[in-house]
Amino acid sequence: MDDFEVRFSGSGGQGLILSAKFLSAALVAEGFSVAQSQSYEPVSRGGLSRSDLVVSKGQAAFPLSRGLDYLLILDGAAAQASNDLLGKDSLVMVDSELVPEPPKGAFRVLNLPFAETARKLGNKRVANIVALSALVACSGICKLETLEQIVRGKTPPKFATLNLEAFEAGCALGVQGA
Amino acid sequence: MANRVNLQGNQACALGAIAAGCTFYGGYPITPSSEVAEAMARELPKVGGTFIQMEDEIASMGAVVGASMGGVKAMTATSGPGFSLKQENLGYACGAEIPCVIVNVMRGGPSTGMPTRPAQGDVMQARWGTHGDHPIIVLTPASVSECYTETIRAFDLTEQLRVPVIVLIDEVIGHLVETVDLDDLTPQTTVSRKFADTPVEGFEPYAVTEDMIPPFPRPGDGYRSHTTGLTHMPNGFPTQNPAKAEAALTRTTDKLVLHKDLIEFCQLIECAGADLVIVAIGISARAAEQAVRDLRGQGVNVGLFRPLTLWPFPETTLKAAVQGAKAVLVPEMNQGQMVLEVERLMAGDLPVHALNKIDGEAITPSEIAAKVKEVL
Repeated sequence: MDDFEVRFSGSGGQGLILSAKFLSAALVAEGFSVAQSQSYEPVSRGGLSRSDLVVSKGQAAFPLSRGLDYLLILDGAAAQASNDLLGKDSLVMVDSELVPEPPKGAFRVLNLPFAETARKLGNKRVANIVALSALVACSGICKLETLEQIVRGKTPPKFATLNLEAFEAGCALGVQGA
Repeated sequence: MANRVNLQGNQACALGAIAAGCTFYGGYPITPSSEVAEAMARELPKVGGTFIQMEDEIASMGAVVGASMGGVKAMTATSGPGFSLKQENLGYACGAEIPCVIVNVMRGGPSTGMPTRPAQGDVMQARWGTHGDHPIIVLTPASVSECYTETIRAFDLTEQLRVPVIVLIDEVIGHLVETVDLDDLTPQTTVSRKFADTPVEGFEPYAVTEDMIPPFPRPGDGYRSHTTGLTHMPNGFPTQNPAKAEAALTRTTDKLVLHKDLIEFCQLIECAGADLVIVAIGISARAAEQAVRDLRGQGVNVGLFRPLTLWPFPETTLKAAVQGAKAVLVPEMNQGQMVLEVERLMAGDLPVHALNKIDGEAITPSEIAAKVKEVL
């Protein structure tokens, strides 16, 4: 696949933009060009938040999303916010606990316990990393090793073990969904 | 060697400034431009430069003008509300011909408006924000790599011409992260202003030279110089003598006409033989480029004219680009600003259509394509 679009959506403070940055760096390491945009509200926590990746070989003419191939939803507030950008080939991955009413349509929807898995690891804040590696394991949009290297390289030592545990747990969830 | 990185538009402005030799940043952070200040605070100490956060935008613009009068390449960055405040000292820089670069990352307005949402509502403020007839140059990058290269060009122009240069970006481009290869973008040379090197005796700080650009007296070189916001004679002192006042003002604006070829820069995509030419900047130009590709694929002959130098507007190039076209379309994220200039240039020869959006969302390729089909 040469061109595709990914959206991380949820509420502000969930680490969606960080996940997008990690995936973006991994994709660039694999030779893609990425345009990453984000939208958030003028608050430090809460509010609708999202980050999009428009992935291509060479710079994209229009750097914003036009049709999502992959959509991750980590909060109910964002559940229906991207419906206009979904098509029959889209893959939607939602948190089974925080998104009680996922979008409905001709596309595939996977309900996965990102938040619950993170909680079991001891910190609900790593749900973003669980979801990120689940997405990559399920879709194959980049190599898991590439992403793991990025997560290792960009995580402060204090959170290294936790983030890598979250990464592994997410991979396991994603492989089940694939 | 490839140096591929994911870089944000605002950060690219900062790195471009450093590559251009900027050693002073006077700032007051404001969304959505704050990353420029953040990056400059981190990068300037590495090159021996100075970063200072002032008490407000008025003072930060004053600091930039003062630093430049001290002989260094200086810049600031801001957004709508801050850009309004900077206009007073920006006008001083225009009048006294002090080189400086101002990055303005446009957000929704007026007033505090929508801080995190994009807009292109400062097209006219960038040209006419400060009072009086004044020279100014405005550049409009539409990608992260252009944020880098156009900031470098901004420094080259402001230094060469002694005219303040605005780098006008919208929030989408300022906050957009794109993959760029910095090795491809960094220039081999950058330009500095022409410093005075004539005998100190009889030196005139605003001497009328053939290129209309007075050599700049470097502080410490011994030149007697007087700088003022008042209309001044070649010796730098104020005048209200009608002939001298007119000559002084005319030189500063004629200077841009004389150096038009150096200043003007546009991109033309598929304009030859186009039935309709779209004129757009920033994120709207990126949407237009995609619309051109999509429409061409459907057999619709449409082209894009993108003025990277927005002001002075590339008049003759646009007129040539629309030869043979039946209509012009100007999509912009305001209620119609750049379209006024395009209408003026078309002077009734061609119908000029507007596509405007002020809801805090970017104009999309499909909205442009729909409008093109509607008017053709």
